Amino acid sequence: MKIIIDRQACVGHARCQAVAPDLYPLDDNGYIDTDGFTVPEGEEPSARRGARACPERIIRTVNDPSGKDWPPKA
Amino acid sequence: MLAGHPELFEAVRTPEVFSSEKQGLPPTSYEPKQVPINSDPPEHEIYRLPLSKAFSPKAMLALQDDIRQLAVELIEKVRQEGRCDFATEIAEPLPVSIFMKLMGLPLEMLGEYRVWVNELLASGVPEVRGEALRKIGLGMSSIIKARMDQRRDDLISRLLDTEIDGRAVTFEEMQSYCLLLFIAGLDTVMNGMCFGIRHLAKDKALQAKLRADPALIPEAMEELLRRYTFTMPGRIVARDHEAFGVQFKKNDRVLLMLPAGDLDPREFENPLVFDLDRENKVHIAFNSGPHRCVGSHLARLELKILYQEMLSRIPTFSLDPERPAQTHGGHVIGFDSLGLVWDRS
Repeated sequence: MKIIIDRQACVGHARCQAVAPDLYPLDDNGYIDTDGFTVPEGEEPSARRGARACPERIIRTVNDPSGKDWPPKA
Repeated sequence: MLAGHPELFEAVRTPEVFSSEKQGLPPTSYEPKQVPINSDPPEHEIYRLPLSKAFSPKAMLALQDDIRQLAVELIEKVRQEGRCDFATEIAEPLPVSIFMKLMGLPLEMLGEYRVWVNELLASGVPEVRGEALRKIGLGMSSIIKARMDQRRDDLISRLLDTEIDGRAVTFEEMQSYCLLLFIAGLDTVMNGMCFGIRHLAKDKALQAKLRADPALIPEAMEELLRRYTFTMPGRIVARDHEAFGVQFKKNDRVLLMLPAGDLDPREFENPLVFDLDRENKVHIAFNSGPHRCVGSHLARLELKILYQEMLSRIPTFSLDPERPAQTHGGHVIGFDSLGLVWDRS
């Protein structure tokens, strides 16, 4: 499973880090500090929660083992 | 009026149509510049950046001991009484004092400042609101001048040393920043606290659950924010535009009815129900898009600490039947009073 983040669209809600602090690093100004990552084994629920927590919907999951990626296609 | 979640989601990301340049509803004759809240891109990002830095999650964490100390002081003052007006005795002084301290505003002016904010946000009379803005502006100008003479360890001083787009900030820009920060920081967290505490006062089972497991407080806080979203920003239409089956005309005024978005059944099942276990609690109480509330990290920290201390120091509390809550409408829906009672034994 991978996480892909549209980093320049981040407005700094910081919800991703609030729900999944081990996976979503923020810079000193409170913006997401990564373009994405491969989800470590066992961390899929956490990664998924972090992605869904973003009110801007700029965090995408790819190959979520649950079968449903986020965000859903419009 | 935009009252649906997907409609709001799209509108706040279309600033070229839904401009923040004018927001007052009903429109006021006097609507001064308050960067960056009434800025659109590209100016918006330039003015927003210094504030994002100043109000970052990390910067706000540095305040947590001060917040907790003040919360404890205010709560302990009322604990033995067995009753209080939560709005005026705790919810108002707590975030207001923290904010005024952060900004370097004189704490003796607390009462006076609160009157001006109330006139600004709760009065339906445009002239009263315009006059309140003028008074606040004058107050801010004198403090800016004082800090220009002598810096202190506060936000106004830090902003004075900020660079806007590579050059020094101007006096007008400082006035603009201070006016916005003045208004934004004073009335909002107070009302967030009141809505949350009022709900808890009516839901004893939830109080018990959170006392038993305080680690649930952050989740409860998010669901309370969703259920009781209380701010409604305005927008002005910059050009003719068709969207959501509606023909918007240039200069139309639009109300972003955020509370309706957070209660939209298309987004949240049984939206009127407070559900701690709700899977999707992702709300827009702090708005979203480029104008996402820059104070949200401070607000969440204050709310969390307030709930922690209220629940650990005050026993099960209820609404005071002798003092029913008083509220007012406006761009920020707010409480004038919120009576609580509890067993003081």
